[in-house]
Amino acid sequence: MSVNSDRRRFLGGAAAAGVAASSMNLDILKAESLSNELKKSGKRVLLLWLAGGASQLETWDPKPGRLTGGPYQAIQTSLPGVQISELMPKMATRLHNTAIIRSLNTQIGDHGGGARLMHLGRRDEPNLTYPDMGSVLARELGRSDLQVPDYVSFYTATEGRGNAVGQPGFLGARYAPMFLTTDNKPANLSRLEDITDLDHKERADLRQMLSNRFAKGRVSESLGSHNVAYGRVRGLMSSEKLFDLSEEPQKVKDRYGNSLFAQQALVARRLIEAGTPFVKVARAWWDSHGQNFETHLEMVTELDHVMSTLLEDLEERGLLEDTLVVTLAEFGRTPTINASLGRDHFARAWSASLTGCGIKGGTVFGATDEDGQHVKDNEIGAAEMFATIYKAVGIDPHHEYFVGSRPIPLVDPGTHAVEEVLA
Amino acid sequence: MNKFVLLVVSLSTIGLLQAALQAQDLLPSETTIEEAVDHYIQAEQATGNIQPASQVDDYILLRRTMLDLIGRIPTVAEVEAYVTSKDPQKRVKLVDRLIQQPEFIEQLAYDLNNILAPAGKTDLELYLADALDKGKGWDHIFTDMIYGNYEEEMPKQAMQFVNLRINDLDNLSNATSALFFGVNISCAKCHDHPLVSEWTQAHFYGMKSFFNRSFSNGDFVAERAYGEIKYATTSGEQLDAQLMFLTGSVIEEPEPVILDDEAKKKEKADFEQLKKDKKPVPAPEFSRRAQLIQIALRENDRDYFAKNLANRMWNRIYGYGLVMPLDQMHPENPPSHPDLLDWLARDTYANGYDIQRLVRGLVLSKTYSQSSVYQGAMRPAEFWFATANVKPMSPRQYAAALALASRNPAHFDDPNEAASRIQNEVKAHRGWERKFVVPGERFQVSVDEALLFSNANEFKDKTKVANDRLGGELAAIESNEEMVQRAIKAVYSRPATAEELEAISAYVEARGDRREEAISQIVWALLTSSELRFNH
Repeated sequence: MSVNSDRRRFLGGAAAAGVAASSMNLDILKAESLSNELKKSGKRVLLLWLAGGASQLETWDPKPGRLTGGPYQAIQTSLPGVQISELMPKMATRLHNTAIIRSLNTQIGDHGGGARLMHLGRRDEPNLTYPDMGSVLARELGRSDLQVPDYVSFYTATEGRGNAVGQPGFLGARYAPMFLTTDNKPANLSRLEDITDLDHKERADLRQMLSNRFAKGRVSESLGSHNVAYGRVRGLMSSEKLFDLSEEPQKVKDRYGNSLFAQQALVARRLIEAGTPFVKVARAWWDSHGQNFETHLEMVTELDHVMSTLLEDLEERGLLEDTLVVTLAEFGRTPTINASLGRDHFARAWSASLTGCGIKGGTVFGATDEDGQHVKDNEIGAAEMFATIYKAVGIDPHHEYFVGSRPIPLVDPGTHAVEEVLA
Repeated sequence: MNKFVLLVVSLSTIGLLQAALQAQDLLPSETTIEEAVDHYIQAEQATGNIQPASQVDDYILLRRTMLDLIGRIPTVAEVEAYVTSKDPQKRVKLVDRLIQQPEFIEQLAYDLNNILAPAGKTDLELYLADALDKGKGWDHIFTDMIYGNYEEEMPKQAMQFVNLRINDLDNLSNATSALFFGVNISCAKCHDHPLVSEWTQAHFYGMKSFFNRSFSNGDFVAERAYGEIKYATTSGEQLDAQLMFLTGSVIEEPEPVILDDEAKKKEKADFEQLKKDKKPVPAPEFSRRAQLIQIALRENDRDYFAKNLANRMWNRIYGYGLVMPLDQMHPENPPSHPDLLDWLARDTYANGYDIQRLVRGLVLSKTYSQSSVYQGAMRPAEFWFATANVKPMSPRQYAAALALASRNPAHFDDPNEAASRIQNEVKAHRGWERKFVVPGERFQVSVDEALLFSNANEFKDKTKVANDRLGGELAAIESNEEMVQRAIKAVYSRPATAEELEAISAYVEARGDRREEAISQIVWALLTSSELRFNH
């Protein structure tokens, strides 16, 4: 067999016919069934990122009466036999859509590494950049006909911002986040005053005409993406109002409250409502090496209020059924209380929550031992967590992308979604 | 389907290394690079009954050549001079002139830095520009970067390739394999490579062994005379890594030096002192990094090094490698043109791994001057090289293109002033580089870029009607037809088509009450259109 005939086989039918392969490699190989498409249609994910690492003991997995328990009590929730921290009285009354996961063991206990792991769902690999959860969801859940951004990420604090990975990796810049750091409005979304809306539109049309002429007879994925990017400009500009809370009734704003986190949660709801498939709102900085209990009194109280309001609002609007709300961080905090009355980094046994779309509400999965030092039942890692999130919104976690000829499954091989929390 | 095809290929035993054994069948070494390129590309097209695209005209060829060689588009004056020249040798003369310009080395150093250095680090670029300027071959540069060359200038800049990665030896080993030998061995860290039987854990840990005694000592990389690597196989067996190169060649080495605690303490103090003095640490008598240089460049093992250089330069010029992906150069992913890659590899090592010589040959071929437009019904796939590929500009190229295209073209008319004016204009826009992303394989333009051009205040200056801007000159031309011709030539380096004349004139006429605004908008549309963004 000659090298050349080998190569013909290697390159497959398109080569034999001498025809250019489709420029979207990822797409040809996607080959999804219609029923899968329907499962995902209209699904969205809202991630509340508790940057710095919220304490599981002051939120979802209290240990009252133990040395590790700290000063706060546990309260009974609406679920028989399930208690959470007394700092979350509002969530305690509305766990009927929520699954609590108490058995994460993710092993990486530094902010940078932990945050990367919990954004990518896997460890980094040299020479291949993985997309983060938001980019995967933007790609899988986004619809090209929707004129809204498909991945918006709020991270206003400076602490830990560099760890909040928003990277499309091998999926390409099309799925990069709109990353908002200073303002609740994205940059360059509004038209400059010295051009009318009509001229702004018509010069874009002229640009399109010139570019189309150029693209005729030429094939290139990059070239296609250039025109796709410009094609999205006007649509994105029209979504500017989604970031504008003055359009929201005062009553609703009052309900969410005045904190930055609350306002960003409300913008997130507006985006979700308009069809944005993935929004991340980061609340920083939970890293309470000292004075853990003061920090958590303030921040958990806020989280309890904002999260319960958000869930109620989504439910009232009929959106919760199709929206998955996740709380997640880079890790939890040590059960052992240190000399500064703080809790340190702890990746060995911590908690997260999943609410809404695809979730069996009112469930608790996994358990830690009586002091919270180790996972006792149903230990899972980042990959299982990601598989569960993907499956909850109708995405097959074992779906493979191809980078060149190398298959890359959405989550690491051999890991599975937690079926117990899935509806 | 892909998996099945891979299986078929993996059953074959033919590959890279065996292909090298057929070297006696290659075209003679006296053949020029451009002749060899055209010979092999056309022969392959004939076997597939592939009709190549037509040759491009002087306008496009000038623009493409200038972008590839010196990183910028031509001015209107340069376009006019080139297309009106009747000199039959003008193309070769152009290439030879451009290659001698300092911008040739500047761009080459910039591109190589983008490949070799972790993102955003630029010290290595300074070294690369200096080394290329001194006429060093790629083997020499490789030696400076991996082993160090402390007698010359910029040793610490050269060492950045290693020094920035030294705290992660897996990454350093893999980056070295991928970037200098075209072989990504990261899969083989945890298990033998699933697709490539030639790559085992022994290869991965063998490559890592060349670096495991090295460590960062301030600005320099130091190396000890001891330190071994052990690794566990998937079956749990504990093995000692050998000093093994990718080809499987193993280096016999002396027993590691054994130091007692006292000697180790002294060694450490010496290192600390050198670090304080900002001086390099002398290499041990037996340096593992020096062994890597030696084995990678020696006759029986140099194939990977030479082919990687040829393939990466080919990809840089033609926009698609002879082996794709660029870091998957292994027997089960054969090149599209094995003989051509063999010939180019032989040519480059026989000529001192001279990048300038290689690039010159690549751009002088007929394959290079094919159109990127394919008129036939079925555009041949990229690996036939039957059309030119459309390449996204690098951030530096795009910044330069925007700078020059938005300037009043008359600014560059005076031949005595043009060179320095062009240089100033380009340098003044270096800051724009940071707004764009360095394109890699399968590059996509982000919507942030489109939003920036559509709505950012800082881009407004490029499109305004002012004396020093293109818009200023255009506004002064009364005839719409002449105005459009001038605009298209300034931005796209070619005459306008009838379709463009009609559409743009109509745009201006519809805004007869505000012609200046209309012209500013036309300039915007021309600058943001794909034709400026890409090298075609």
